[in-house]
Amino acid sequence: MKHINRRTRTLMDDAAGYAFISPWLLGFIAFSIIPILFSLYYSFTDYDILGEPVFNGLENFRRMAGDQLFWQSLKVTFFYAFVSVPLRLLFAFFVAMLFNRGTRAIRFYQAVYYVPSLVGGSIAVAVMWRRLFMADGALNAVLAKFGIITEYSWIGNPDTAIWTLIILAVWQFGSSMLIFLAGLRQIPKELYEAASIDGAGAFRKFLNITVPQITPVLFFNLVMQLINGFTVFTQAFVVSGGSGDPLNSTLVYALYLYQRAFKFYNMGYSSAMAWVLVLIIGVMTGIVFKTSSSWVFYEAKEGK
Amino acid sequence: MKRNLLIIALACLLLVPGFVFAQPAAEESASGTMRLAWWGNPTRDERTLKAADMFMAKYPEIKIETETTGWGGYWDKMNTQAAAGSLPDLMQHDYAYMLQWVSRNQLADLTPYIQKGIIDLSKINDSFLSGGRVNGKLYGISLGTNAVCLTYDPAVLAKAGIPEPDSATWTWEDFERIALEIYRKTGVQTIPFFTTDPKVGFDNMIRQTGAATFGKTGLGFTDPSALREFYAIQLRLLDAGALIRPEVAFVTVTPEEGEFAKGRSWVEFIWSNQFVSTQAAAKRPLKLALLPNIKNAKAKGTFLKPSMFFSIPASAENPEAAAKFLNYFLNDITVNDMLMGERGVPIPDDVRDHMSTKVDAINKQIFDYISLASKNAGPIDPPDPAGSGEFLKMVRDVTQEILYKRISLDNGVSKIMTQGNQILK
Repeated sequence: MKHINRRTRTLMDDAAGYAFISPWLLGFIAFSIIPILFSLYYSFTDYDILGEPVFNGLENFRRMAGDQLFWQSLKVTFFYAFVSVPLRLLFAFFVAMLFNRGTRAIRFYQAVYYVPSLVGGSIAVAVMWRRLFMADGALNAVLAKFGIITEYSWIGNPDTAIWTLIILAVWQFGSSMLIFLAGLRQIPKELYEAASIDGAGAFRKFLNITVPQITPVLFFNLVMQLINGFTVFTQAFVVSGGSGDPLNSTLVYALYLYQRAFKFYNMGYSSAMAWVLVLIIGVMTGIVFKTSSSWVFYEAKEGK
Repeated sequence: MKRNLLIIALACLLLVPGFVFAQPAAEESASGTMRLAWWGNPTRDERTLKAADMFMAKYPEIKIETETTGWGGYWDKMNTQAAAGSLPDLMQHDYAYMLQWVSRNQLADLTPYIQKGIIDLSKINDSFLSGGRVNGKLYGISLGTNAVCLTYDPAVLAKAGIPEPDSATWTWEDFERIALEIYRKTGVQTIPFFTTDPKVGFDNMIRQTGAATFGKTGLGFTDPSALREFYAIQLRLLDAGALIRPEVAFVTVTPEEGEFAKGRSWVEFIWSNQFVSTQAAAKRPLKLALLPNIKNAKAKGTFLKPSMFFSIPASAENPEAAAKFLNYFLNDITVNDMLMGERGVPIPDDVRDHMSTKVDAINKQIFDYISLASKNAGPIDPPDPAGSGEFLKMVRDVTQEILYKRISLDNGVSKIMTQGNQILK
């Protein structure tokens, strides 16, 4: 009797728990799980939204292999992710180090530096970015002050256009910076004090205490930002007006996927592309996890 | 305590389905509510909302719910609604997508509503209706007439001492000569042709050869000379320094940021219903002209295009109310007085005649241009086939490759020919 009672109670508790998270859970099922399953199904079909999906096996994936724009968008995305993620993390870490020394208006600055992360995908920023990097933009005006007169269109030239997006990504370093800052605050003061007593200089302390102690946070940031980097869409969409201009040099993977889905109405093909991207991100994240044991420092291991 | 928590939790659970599933709960068609959707801009939104209000004041038994977005988002939304079976009762439609929607049985034939007398087409010349017809059935009614054109800055021509062209007879040779002379005398350049959709430009030249861009399958033309000339003119101007560099011209900008608005180009290529916004951005007097003729033209390149339609989806829950509003929007003089031809020149004779006496100077220019174009226009080509979206992107990509000089003119043209036939097969 007592036994059953306990079981009912656990069940009741579980039910209460699930009921409490039900708004999130139902939303997750309705708006994430179901669409994800649908897209998996569509990736094996020929589907133009208006008609019925027609099963065509692996045809979408086969077509991808011969699709030049698919390879172009992969190239652009890999370049963007591999350049912008390290730069953003370096910059975020650098700013976090500055803040960690403790400034008086620190909270104010934290908020200010977080703003770009919030507004980065907005139309206003897209307009501003064009004004900065177009032929008669602000950058060239600044260069002219230093005697470099140029009419070079940074944003309109296929060799440099992607860099304007990378700079935009670096500029949106706010969330990584906050996480780094939290990590820096966690480093025990005693370590630094002990090092000072042993006569270690600032650089030595940075290299042997700060860097190893921050690697778990770096690991987290790297994984998150890598995923962000590979799925970048909004910035490329607003800055190029949805086109990937010039000469498809800013045609990132997610933008091409969007064009396939909503410009060409190849829903099946774009669903297949989405699953390929899932695979790519899975592999990249897997590599980071695999290598983490050799560079991420965990205190627990140190004790053995 | 525990029980209370459980009750609260269950309440949370109950709330969710209400929130998630409230939307699709269908209204009774007898209740007289209809949904109206269009793409637009702030001016159009304001006027269309006002038209809905005027209609509801006149017919209080019908209530109109409205949905509006910009062009890009509109088709994302409508396609999704079509897939979900939740399209509105009356939707703005476009010539380019009409055929695809009709072939998927998404649109209703309007003929029954005309027979029942709900929609009155007695004042409309049949040529204005042909664009909405597929296989003898009427799937959309044009809300205004549109034609492709170029707009130029007469002050620049005057400064260069060049007489204004007679746009019904001028040729691309004249255009090129004028562009070079303007550049030599004033330094003002020429913008590359139709940077957002280059097909609109060469389509006009291909039509003049008596062919069409799209065929039943593949491309509708085999002789690439008109296509080649379209790019050759621009390359010659580019080499002479008279064309705005592609690095500048292909950056997506608002009309106000554009090279034409800034006065660096003497010309801009637009559709006639874009003239109001182009003019507002340029803030100086402009003129409208037909696109130039090619040498030995066999046919008219220009055509009158329904700028947009109202269509009733096949799945509409209240099609009768939709038809009633459509008729009001189309034929009522008072509401058209307020709409001021924002969607293009109205198609019923009495409305158009009435409007031409009332519109402001800028709209008068458009009315005059449409009447000039109607005298110099050929029949419209069939709506774009499936695959046109991919084709247009390919064309724009190759256009950039040619003008950025990443590919030779001949290779670029043959790339459009071969890839075009592949995409459209």
